Amino acid sequence: MRGLNLKPSRVYQTASLLLESQSISQPPSWFKTIGSIPPGEIMTRTQPVQHRGSNPRSRIRKPSKMFKPQLIEYEEDRLRREFYRDHPWELARPRIVLENDGKDAQRCDWSRIQQPGRPLSGESVIQRQLWLLNNVPGMSKAQAYDIARKEFYALRHEEEVERRIAREEATWTGAYFGKSALEVGMELEDKIYESWKVWATKEAETINLQRNAAYTGLGTGEAEEESVVDEDIIEAPALS
Amino acid sequence: MILRNVAIRHSRKALAAPIPKSLLRTLTTEALAEERSSIEHSIANHTKETHSIEANLNQLQLTKSFHPPRETAESKAGVQRDYALRNHIKKRTSRLGSRIPPHYEPSDILTDPPRPEDVTLELLMASQAHFGHSTSLWNPMNQRYIYGVRSGIHIISLEATAAHLRRAAKVVEGVAYHGGLILFVGTRKGQDKAVVKAAKMAQGCHLFERWIPGTITNGDQILGNCAMRVVDAKDEPLRGFEQKIGEWKALRPDLVVVLNPRENYVLLHECGLNNIPTIGVIDTDADPTWVTYPIPANDDSLRCIQVIAGVLGRAGEAGQKRRLEDAENGIVTWLPSPGLGKPKDMEEAEKEKEEGGGVVAKARIVEDESEEVQSRRRRGPVDPEDGEDDF
Repeated sequence: MRGLNLKPSRVYQTASLLLESQSISQPPSWFKTIGSIPPGEIMTRTQPVQHRGSNPRSRIRKPSKMFKPQLIEYEEDRLRREFYRDHPWELARPRIVLENDGKDAQRCDWSRIQQPGRPLSGESVIQRQLWLLNNVPGMSKAQAYDIARKEFYALRHEEEVERRIAREEATWTGAYFGKSALEVGMELEDKIYESWKVWATKEAETINLQRNAAYTGLGTGEAEEESVVDEDIIEAPALS
Repeated sequence: MILRNVAIRHSRKALAAPIPKSLLRTLTTEALAEERSSIEHSIANHTKETHSIEANLNQLQLTKSFHPPRETAESKAGVQRDYALRNHIKKRTSRLGSRIPPHYEPSDILTDPPRPEDVTLELLMASQAHFGHSTSLWNPMNQRYIYGVRSGIHIISLEATAAHLRRAAKVVEGVAYHGGLILFVGTRKGQDKAVVKAAKMAQGCHLFERWIPGTITNGDQILGNCAMRVVDAKDEPLRGFEQKIGEWKALRPDLVVVLNPRENYVLLHECGLNNIPTIGVIDTDADPTWVTYPIPANDDSLRCIQVIAGVLGRAGEAGQKRRLEDAENGIVTWLPSPGLGKPKDMEEAEKEKEEGGGVVAKARIVEDESEEVQSRRRRGPVDPEDGEDDF
């Protein structure tokens, strides 16, 4: 609806006026409660929480930018960017972002990379790296990164070995597995390739027909060859 | 031997027959061979019975006037035996296996909702209450509730959420204490359980289907079939008001709690027209002027909605409890609505006596629980000097 409707915010004032003018004989049952608990201020803009220190040298003092909520950044963000740039396939691993009671992070002790109740992921590497930077004197970022990710690699290697052995054991006791992801991918690619081949053959035929149709006039064999060569050169771009 | 048939047979007979002793072993960790033989034995017993499935269903008499089977002394003794056995097995076996640390159980919020005192920033964060919408879709009026921007969305300040939620809880408690009718509305998919639970605790009304436009402005038409009752300060029904109640106008809520205000504009507009205070969960793209008490939080997360509805329901429950306690001590916290007057026999007696004054009955109208449609409360005559001055 157009315009501002402040009737909901002024429910108490309206009831008071109605009472004064005796339009209603007695106050409604919510009158005392709402009267003693005024609704909070709305619509006014406040200075947002400052996450990045203000730049004193900046000459920009736009009021619209002063009240704009700021970007929240943590030091882990830079470490995350670096880690996932080096290990992009770690992003492909599914993650559970559900929290138990909001205090899960307080129960983590990053002096070890493995935490009970938390799966091993890029996040554990970053937290471990941060712990090393903060708790071990004389540690550089690169050193901490190397220590953390080497521990991570060892554990991931263990996981892969476990998976391989489990598969072997299962196969030995009679289990069989379906197609692996690579096989499925190859089959999909083959299907697309076949459909592309059909399309490509049709396109090549159409181009050939067009070329033959554009070929005009009779003449000697030499003249024909020359004209054919010229037409080839002209029509080559049409193929791409 | 396939074990799934066992479950089908036993679930059918679960209520009728007690667990035979031969099945004791299935519930403990004894040898498999013994289990199998005992299960086979019990199945053989059941196949001997001649009851077919149709006969069982016919026995249930699935009609409107369904009466649950009467408890005989035998069946009671059987139930007691089974219960004792179950407790014994639980005591013996519950300590076996891994120790599962305390973790999030989704149904816990509905079965045991948190109280306004239990609201912490960690609880709100775990309930995903801080997730706002994309920064390009925001309503700038909500800027004061926003903590910052992350991952392309606005993050709602949980301190603001907690403060506004506590304020709304105080309002709900106060309105319940003064005998007001609270309507809980949550029309999105999955909000129905939370809404029903909150309404039950606050002894109010719930709505989880579409709000019919005109339920307040055209209430006599839409709520014309709603039954009403007159009750006294202790919520006991009163007689002598039947005729008046039959002609009474449709009741209106005294407070409306909306869990998805963006989809309920018509409801909120009607409340504004009729001067009814509202509480609403306001996301970063919602309009805070639509409600009296906004609660800035994530309206898309069911967990967050369940927490908020639970907190407000608990507040209503506390208000009702306080009201009834005061009624036991003779303090009535509400005023009767004008027009209800006194019960029919009292009015006739007064007319005959031609005397002024007389005993005043404390009475108010309440919805009749046998009706499933939405119904409201009203008040009966009461001495206005009674009642404390606090909210």
